[in-house]
Amino acid sequence: MTATGGEPIGTRRGSGAEDPSRRQPIVVMRGIRKSFGPVEVLHGVDFEVLPGEVHVLAGENGAGKSTLIKILSGVYDDYSGELYVGGRPQRFSHPNEAVRAGIATIHQELSLVASMSISDNLFLGREAAQRFGFVDFGSQESQAARILEETELDFSPRQLVGELPISSQQILEIARALARDASLVIFDEPTSALNEHEVDSLFERIVELRRRGRGIVYITHKMEEIYRLADRITVLRDGRLVGTAAANELPPSHLVKWMVGRDLAVRSGGRPGPSAEPALEVDDLRVAHPEIKARSVVEGVSFTLRWGEILGLAGLQGSGTSEVLHALFGALGRRVAGRVRLCGQPFPLRGPRESVERGVVLLTNDRKSFGLAPDLNVTHSVSLASLSRFCNRGGWVRREEETEAVRSLTREFQLSAPSFDAPVRTLSGGNQQKVYLACCLLPQPRVLLLDEPTRGIDVGAKADIYDLMRTWVGQGIAILLITSEMDELLTLSDRILVMHRGRIAAEFTRETASKDDVLAAAMGLAGCHERGGVE
Amino acid sequence: MPLRRFATFLICVLAGVGCSSESRERHAGTPEDPWVIGMSQCNLGEPWRVQMDADVRAAAARHTNLRVIFKDAQNSSLVQRAQVEEFIQQGVDLIIISPKEAAPLTRPVAEAYQQGIPVIVLDRAVQGDQYTTFIGADNVQIGREAGKWIRERLGGSGRIVELKGLMTSTPGQDRNRGFLEGLELDRHPGLEIVFTGEMQWLEPNARREMESALATNSEIDVVYAHNDPGAHGAWLAARAAGREADIMFVGIDALPHEGQQYVQQGILDATFLYPTGGAEAIELALAILRGEEVPRKIVLGTRLFTRESVGAGGQPIN
Amino acid sequence: MSAEWRVKLRGWWTTPVARALLALLLMIVIGCVFSADGAFFRWSVHRDMLRQVSVFGMLACGMTVVIITAGIDLSVSSVLALAAVSFAWLALPQGWPAVFAIPVVLAFGTALGSVSGALVARMRIQPFIVTLAMMVFARGLAKVISGGRKITNYVTEADGTTRLVDLPRIFGIIDSKVLGGNLSIVTIIFLLCVLVTWIVLSRLRLGRHIYAVGGNEEAARLSGVPVRRTLITAYALSGLFAAVAGICQAAQETHGDPETGMAYELDAIAMVVIGGTTLAGGKGSVVLTLIGVLTIGYLQKILSLNAAPEATRLMLTGAIIVCAVLFQRGK
Repeated sequence: MTATGGEPIGTRRGSGAEDPSRRQPIVVMRGIRKSFGPVEVLHGVDFEVLPGEVHVLAGENGAGKSTLIKILSGVYDDYSGELYVGGRPQRFSHPNEAVRAGIATIHQELSLVASMSISDNLFLGREAAQRFGFVDFGSQESQAARILEETELDFSPRQLVGELPISSQQILEIARALARDASLVIFDEPTSALNEHEVDSLFERIVELRRRGRGIVYITHKMEEIYRLADRITVLRDGRLVGTAAANELPPSHLVKWMVGRDLAVRSGGRPGPSAEPALEVDDLRVAHPEIKARSVVEGVSFTLRWGEILGLAGLQGSGTSEVLHALFGALGRRVAGRVRLCGQPFPLRGPRESVERGVVLLTNDRKSFGLAPDLNVTHSVSLASLSRFCNRGGWVRREEETEAVRSLTREFQLSAPSFDAPVRTLSGGNQQKVYLACCLLPQPRVLLLDEPTRGIDVGAKADIYDLMRTWVGQGIAILLITSEMDELLTLSDRILVMHRGRIAAEFTRETASKDDVLAAAMGLAGCHERGGVE
Repeated sequence: MPLRRFATFLICVLAGVGCSSESRERHAGTPEDPWVIGMSQCNLGEPWRVQMDADVRAAAARHTNLRVIFKDAQNSSLVQRAQVEEFIQQGVDLIIISPKEAAPLTRPVAEAYQQGIPVIVLDRAVQGDQYTTFIGADNVQIGREAGKWIRERLGGSGRIVELKGLMTSTPGQDRNRGFLEGLELDRHPGLEIVFTGEMQWLEPNARREMESALATNSEIDVVYAHNDPGAHGAWLAARAAGREADIMFVGIDALPHEGQQYVQQGILDATFLYPTGGAEAIELALAILRGEEVPRKIVLGTRLFTRESVGAGGQPIN
Repeated sequence: MSAEWRVKLRGWWTTPVARALLALLLMIVIGCVFSADGAFFRWSVHRDMLRQVSVFGMLACGMTVVIITAGIDLSVSSVLALAAVSFAWLALPQGWPAVFAIPVVLAFGTALGSVSGALVARMRIQPFIVTLAMMVFARGLAKVISGGRKITNYVTEADGTTRLVDLPRIFGIIDSKVLGGNLSIVTIIFLLCVLVTWIVLSRLRLGRHIYAVGGNEEAARLSGVPVRRTLITAYALSGLFAAVAGICQAAQETHGDPETGMAYELDAIAMVVIGGTTLAGGKGSVVLTLIGVLTIGYLQKILSLNAAPEATRLMLTGAIIVCAVLFQRGK
C-alpha cells in the first residue's frame, strides 16, 4: 500500500483492526490520487471517518490535506480512487452534491453573507419556497429562531450576520450544517480567528456533534487542539498517507516526527542577551476607538524595547496588542497619542512610509487582507517595501540588483516557489508567509513589529522562522512580537508584557514567566504582579 | 432640518408658479411689453440644431417687440414635455418646438394649443392636428435632388459610394430612398453603387468606411454621404490615399460653418441645404401673433451649393 | 531535446499573452477567409486599420494603467474631445504655434486626470462615480470652449466677420504617413504611448506601486507605498494619453469637434479587457492591451471591408468580447 519512504516508525494503517466498535464508516476514501497538470499531489491516500468520532487530519502545509478535503467536499472531481458515502460509491461533481449527501464544510473563511440576516443565511440556497418561487419568510424565521435557541445563540433571526462576532458566525455555520442534516462536518482550521473563550465554546459544539453521532474531520496546526479533541489522527506528508492512529496512542513527539519526518524540539538559548541600549521608548501611548471617539483601545501603555531583544506582547483578542503594533508603525494616523523615541530621537508616527524609511517595519497578522497582493510575483512582492533601494533618480528599477537581493534573502528563508515570476497566490500558505516576512526584512529594518508571524503555517516552516528571528536579534535587531501560541511566546521572548483591556497588566522575564501566570494576567486575574494596572 | 425647510420652500415656489399661471394675459407686443416666445429644442448636441437655434435667435434679433426663451431638452422626450408644460405655466404667447419624438409630445403640444397658445412645430412632426403650423423640409426630396444632380453630372454612368447615416433614423432612411429614386438606376445601367457603408452621421466612422471602399474599389467617381461631416471624412480618407482629385464628394445639410465652408474650400463638390426653418418660424410667429391667417403646413425647399453658387448663398431648387 | 522543448511550449501556451495572441490570430484568419476580394492581403488595408485604432489605443493605454489600480476611467472620451477642441481653438482662431499649443493641451489633460485621481485617492469616492462626473463635466467644458460648434479653420471674429486661416502644418504632419507611405504618424504616436506605458508599468518603481495598489491597497500602504500619489499619477497618465489622443483626433478631423469621441471609453475598456487585463485590478499589462487593440481593430476592419450592416457589427462585437474573455480564462 502506501509507502512512507523508509520511515522507521511503526505505522498503524487502515485502523479497522483496532476499531472499538464495528460501526459502519460515514465516509471511506480508497487510493485517492490527484494531479494538477503533470504534477501528482496525492499518491493514493486512504481515509475514513466513523460516526461519533473527531478525526484530525494533520500534516504540514502542502502535505495534501486541503486537496483531500476538496475531493471529499466535491470541489475537485478529476481524481482517481474510490469514495464511499454511507457504504455507497459516490463521485461528486459539484460542492452542492456533497452538501446534499450530508457532507458540510466549515471553511477558514466563513461562507456566510454578512449583509443578509441570520435567517436568510440559514436557508440560503434552500429557501422555504411557496408556489411561484415566493419565499415563506415567516416559517423560515420561526425555524431559524428554533435553531438559534438550540445553539444557545442569543440573537434575533432578523439580525444581520455581519453584526455578529466571528465566533458566533462560526457557530451559525455549524448550525447551518446541522440544519441541512449533515452527517459529516469538516472543519478547516476553524480557530484561527477566534480567542480562547470562543475556542472553548466552539469545542463544546464539536463535542456535542460527536455525542449526536456525527462524524467530524478536523484540520489544524495547533498541537493542543489536536490533543483536546482528537479521537483518531491521520497524518499526511508529501501527498502520502503516513499513518492513522488513535490519539491516545500517538504521543506529540511521534506526531511531529510523522508530520515532519525529523525531530523538531523547540530549541532555546544560545544567543547573546539584549544590549542595555533602548531601541524604542514608548511613553503613555493611547489609541482611540475607531468609531467611538471617547473610548480608547489602548490606554496609556509605556515600555522600552532594547536592541537585540525579543519583547513578547501577550493578550487576548481585544486587549489592544495589535493596536499597539499598528500605532507604533504609524498606521493608525490621528487616533494615536503619546511620545515615542527611536534611537533616542523623537519618532512622530507620521505614517507607514516614514516608518519604513526609518527602519521600523510591521508584519500584520492577516497576510491576505493587509500583507500581500495576490497577483504580484514573488520577486516584486518581496521587494515592494524596499524599492527605493533599487531605484535610481528617475525611478527606474535596477532589476538585476533587485533580483539578486531577493534571491539571496529568500535562500536564507528556504522559500520553495515554482519560480520567482509566479504570482504569490500560487504558493502554499507557509511559503506565502515567508514571502511576506522577506518583504518586511528586505528594507533591512532595525525594529521589527511582528503580529502573529507564524499564523497558519506548518511546523517545519515555523521552526525555520524561529531560527531566523534568533539570527536577527543576534544581529542587534529589536523585535516586538505578538503571538497567540503560548509555547512560542515563552520560548522566544526575553521579556513578556501582558495586556488586558488596553493596559499593561503584568510584565515577566523569561525566567519568571509561566503559562498559567501569563494567561491569568491576560484574563485580568492578576492584579498582584509588579506592574498591575487592573482595577 | 435644512432639507425639510428646503422642501417647504420648494412647495411654496411651485404653488406660486401655479397661481401666477391662473391669470393668463397676453403681452402687448410692443418694445416695452414684448411678446414672449418659448423655443424648445430637442437636443443641442448636433451642429444642425445649434444652427436652428442660431437662426431663430438671429431672426428674433431683428424685431424689438419679441423675446425668445431657449430651452434644450438634452435628447429626452420627458424633459421636452416638461419644458412645454413650463412654457404654459410661464404664460408665453407662442411656443416653437422641435420635438424629439412624435408620440410622447403630441399630448403636451395639444394641451398648450387647447389653452390658446399657438404652437409652431419645427422639423419633426407631432401626431393629430392640435397645433398651429408645421414647418419642415423633405428629406426624400433632398435625397432625390442629390441623386438627380449626381446622375446628370456623371452623364449616366459611373461608380458611386454611398455613406449612410444612422439607418434606424427617419432622415437616414429618407435620404437613402430619395437618392435611389433620383438616380433611376433601372433606367441608367451605367450607374453602379459599388459600396455602401453605415457611418452613423460620424466623421471618424465615415473615414473608416471610405478607407474600406477605397481598398476594395480601384475606381470611384462619386461619394454621396448623408451629411457633410460624412463627406468630409470620406474626403480625408481619399486624400490620405492620394485619390481625392479623382472623386466627387456630395453631402447634405449645408450649414454655413460646415458644408458651405467645405464647398468653398473645394473639399466638397456639392452640398444640399437641409433648412432649419428657424428664420421662417419667427416670421410665421409674428404673423400668428398679429392675428394673420397662416397655412397649416410649410415644406421648405432645398438649395444647392456648388463652388459657383456658394458665394451667392446657393441656388434654390424648386 | 524535443520533450523539454514541448514542455516549455506548453508552459508558454497557457500564458495570458499567448491566449490573447490566439484570439488575434483567429481574427486574422477570419480576415483571410473574408478578404473582400483580396483587399485584406494589401498592406494599405492594415495600415489604415492601424491608423483608425490608434486613437482608441492611446485611450486604452491610460485605461490599462487605471484598471490595474482596480479603478476605471470613464472620462477619457470627454477629455479627448476637450483636448481636441482646446487644441483646435489654440491653433486655429488663436493662431498659436504647435510648440506652445501641444504642451498646453497635454498639461490640461494631465491636470484633469489628476483632479479625478485626487478625488479618488483623497476623498475616497468610487472611481466609477468620479470619472462619470468628469466625463459629463469635460464634455460640457468642451461645448463651452467651442460654443457648441466645430472649431474649424473658418474663423468667426468677435465682430461677426469671418476669415479663413490656413490649416497649420502640424495638422498635416500628424495626419501623414512615413516609411514610403506605409505607416501613419498617429500609429507611431500610439506605439510611443504603448512604449511609455510599458516603461512605467514594468521598469519604473511607479509601476510596481500601481500593481501593488491594485492588488491589495492596504498591503501596499503598510509596505510604505505612497498610495494616494500612485493613484493620482495613474489617473493623470490616463488624462495625458487622452489629451494626446485628442490632439490626434483634431488633426485627423482637421477641426475640433466637441461631440467627437462619444462612447470611445467603452471601446477602450473593451480593448483592455479583451487583452486579458481584469477589471479586478492588480494584474495585466500594456502588451496585452496592444493585442486587444489590434483584435478589435481587425474585427472592425473586416466588418467594414465586407460592408456588414450596423446591426451585424454590434452583435458580432458583443459576441467577440465575451468569446475573447472566455478564451483568456482557458478551459
